[in-house]
Amino acid sequence: MSRLLLVLLVLPCAASAQQNVIEISGANFRPMPIGVAVPSTQDDGARRALAEFDSALMYDLSACGLFQVLDRKSYLAPVTEGFTVAAISFSKWNDVGAESLVKTQLSSGDDALKGELRLFGVASGREDFRVSEAVPVKDPRKLAHKLANALYKQLTRETGPFETRLAYSRKSPGGRDIYISDWDGRNAQRVTSSDVNVIPALIPGDGVGFTSYRQRKPWLFSAKPGSEPTLLVNRGSMVTGASWTSDGKRLAVSVSDGETADIWVGNGDGTNLARITDTKFFLNTSPSWSPDGKRIAFVSNRGGNPQIYSMNADGSSPRRLTFQGNYNTTPAWSPRGDLVAFTARDERNAFDLFTVNVDTGKVVRLTQDASNNEEPTFSPNGRLILFTSTRSGSRHLHVMTFDGNNQVPLPNERSDYATPDWGP
Amino acid sequence: MSTTADSLLRARPSGMRPFLVASVLAHLVIGGGLFALSAFFGRPSIDLEQKPIIASLVRLGKPRDEKLLPRKEEEPPPPPAKAEAEPVKLPPQDTAVKIPTKDVKPEKTASKEGPKDNKKSLFDALNRASRGAAAEIEGAADGDPEGDSAKQEGERYFGLLRAVVRRNYDVSDTIPESERRTLKAEVALWIGTAGEVLNVKLTKASGNEMFDSAVLGAVKKASPFAPPPDTLKDTLRKQGVAIVFRAAE
Repeated sequence: MSRLLLVLLVLPCAASAQQNVIEISGANFRPMPIGVAVPSTQDDGARRALAEFDSALMYDLSACGLFQVLDRKSYLAPVTEGFTVAAISFSKWNDVGAESLVKTQLSSGDDALKGELRLFGVASGREDFRVSEAVPVKDPRKLAHKLANALYKQLTRETGPFETRLAYSRKSPGGRDIYISDWDGRNAQRVTSSDVNVIPALIPGDGVGFTSYRQRKPWLFSAKPGSEPTLLVNRGSMVTGASWTSDGKRLAVSVSDGETADIWVGNGDGTNLARITDTKFFLNTSPSWSPDGKRIAFVSNRGGNPQIYSMNADGSSPRRLTFQGNYNTTPAWSPRGDLVAFTARDERNAFDLFTVNVDTGKVVRLTQDASNNEEPTFSPNGRLILFTSTRSGSRHLHVMTFDGNNQVPLPNERSDYATPDWGP
Repeated sequence: MSTTADSLLRARPSGMRPFLVASVLAHLVIGGGLFALSAFFGRPSIDLEQKPIIASLVRLGKPRDEKLLPRKEEEPPPPPAKAEAEPVKLPPQDTAVKIPTKDVKPEKTASKEGPKDNKKSLFDALNRASRGAAAEIEGAADGDPEGDSAKQEGERYFGLLRAVVRRNYDVSDTIPESERRTLKAEVALWIGTAGEVLNVKLTKASGNEMFDSAVLGAVKKASPFAPPPDTLKDTLRKQGVAIVFRAAE
């Protein structure tokens, strides 16, 4: 009884002493400000690779959209600052606004270049992550990509884009050629060496498919760097816009015949093709698979002008995705499945990039007032979009986050690039 | 036929008259009808039975000293008739103060009364301050014993606190989107009388170190805060305030 009385006495007191509560929701998600110290080394073999390693790592971290790499000119800590917690003056990094600090150290031996990357929390003043990698001594950029990927995975638990591949066509003296390169456009290897070769699509596993005039008619070929192209599809008057499912087992192409163009679907090697659209006197082009391989986004002018549609892989249940504008083309389905990026011609006749949410139909503009921006393609993890832009004169490759932020050009040489594709 | 009969100016009988008369009559009927309808249906409905809402935002107490109330704009007194009748030739500006007129009160009078009043009001204020606060509560005779100002002040302060922390609630993009939906952390914050942070600590971790560090950082970056109102000073110093952070909207 006395206990009950005590509880009755205490309860009102506890209630009156209740703490005030403020609720805050909806964080401002933004790139993490990081300091990336100049890499250090103790031996001469690694010193030669330092500059190339550093430029590749800096590009990886600044272009991936996750980080805001702070300007090195603002750093207060000396370049010679150590590599351990005890040797780092965290207050100096805090003063320049860094939330995290990346330090790298290179060494060489046995024809290998070794690198170690450490991530420090500036506020906590502790080491959060450490990783080591080794590559052939002649490839410091690869070492940078490996370390950047490890860091990316540590922070996001997703595979980074730094060891992925790009395919694109580039102007050459004989016409256009197909190239495969690293994600930053470097280490480019020419796949074709004559005629006009356009619209490449990376084949999961290996190689690249593309439309080539090498047999006079524009048909679909596949090739690997250093090997002769092989014919995959030679139907109708033109075969374009090849797209493979993420497992490489299914292929979709657009086959033109007379005034009609239809989508055909078949095996990954080009066999057993079957037409899945049938709209006489209309064009159905640029197929792009959904990540689960069940649906295909494509362009059709069946409604009067080119718009983005989606349909099942057998051609059933076509659904129009875009309703704004009168010229929407080059759809690319995000590997995350939620968005389709496309090129649209706006009211000023400028080409710009947009995304449409497949479920809600919400359209988001990604580029504006920066000349023409076309031909989007998603990174394999869906966080980035590669596209061509004429903002700096010639048509160059640029990369941005899927929501249009952090638009940066690739650091490769300037040329006339077209129809890029991004694959694992 | 005469010239007058041929003239175009001569009035001729017209077949339009019956139509004109009918039109005027029709307009009158329609206008009258509309007026009657609007008088019938357009009347604003006022519920005379509705009870008036009585709100008292004024604290119960002694009416405030009129000198402390905001000044009312008063029209200047009309100038004497003599001055109007006899226009005075204005001297150059630099000598204006030297010429005494009947309209202007002698400066001496003003200077004598001024300091006396100031002194008096100063002593009055000191006397009032030295007397108990309870006796000095200002308000209105029909005010509310509680008044709403304390509560409003507190709510306004917490709103301010929320806004300033929210502005600094920056979280790294590196946190996977799948995790963002569920991330939630709680921080306890104690604030001093000048608005300084006495202590801040994570009371409920989210499970993601980066998020936890970001919410603590948001509070630290937002400080120092504005000084809390008197009614909250003790609470914020002793009990503090809990801030619940959610990553998603």
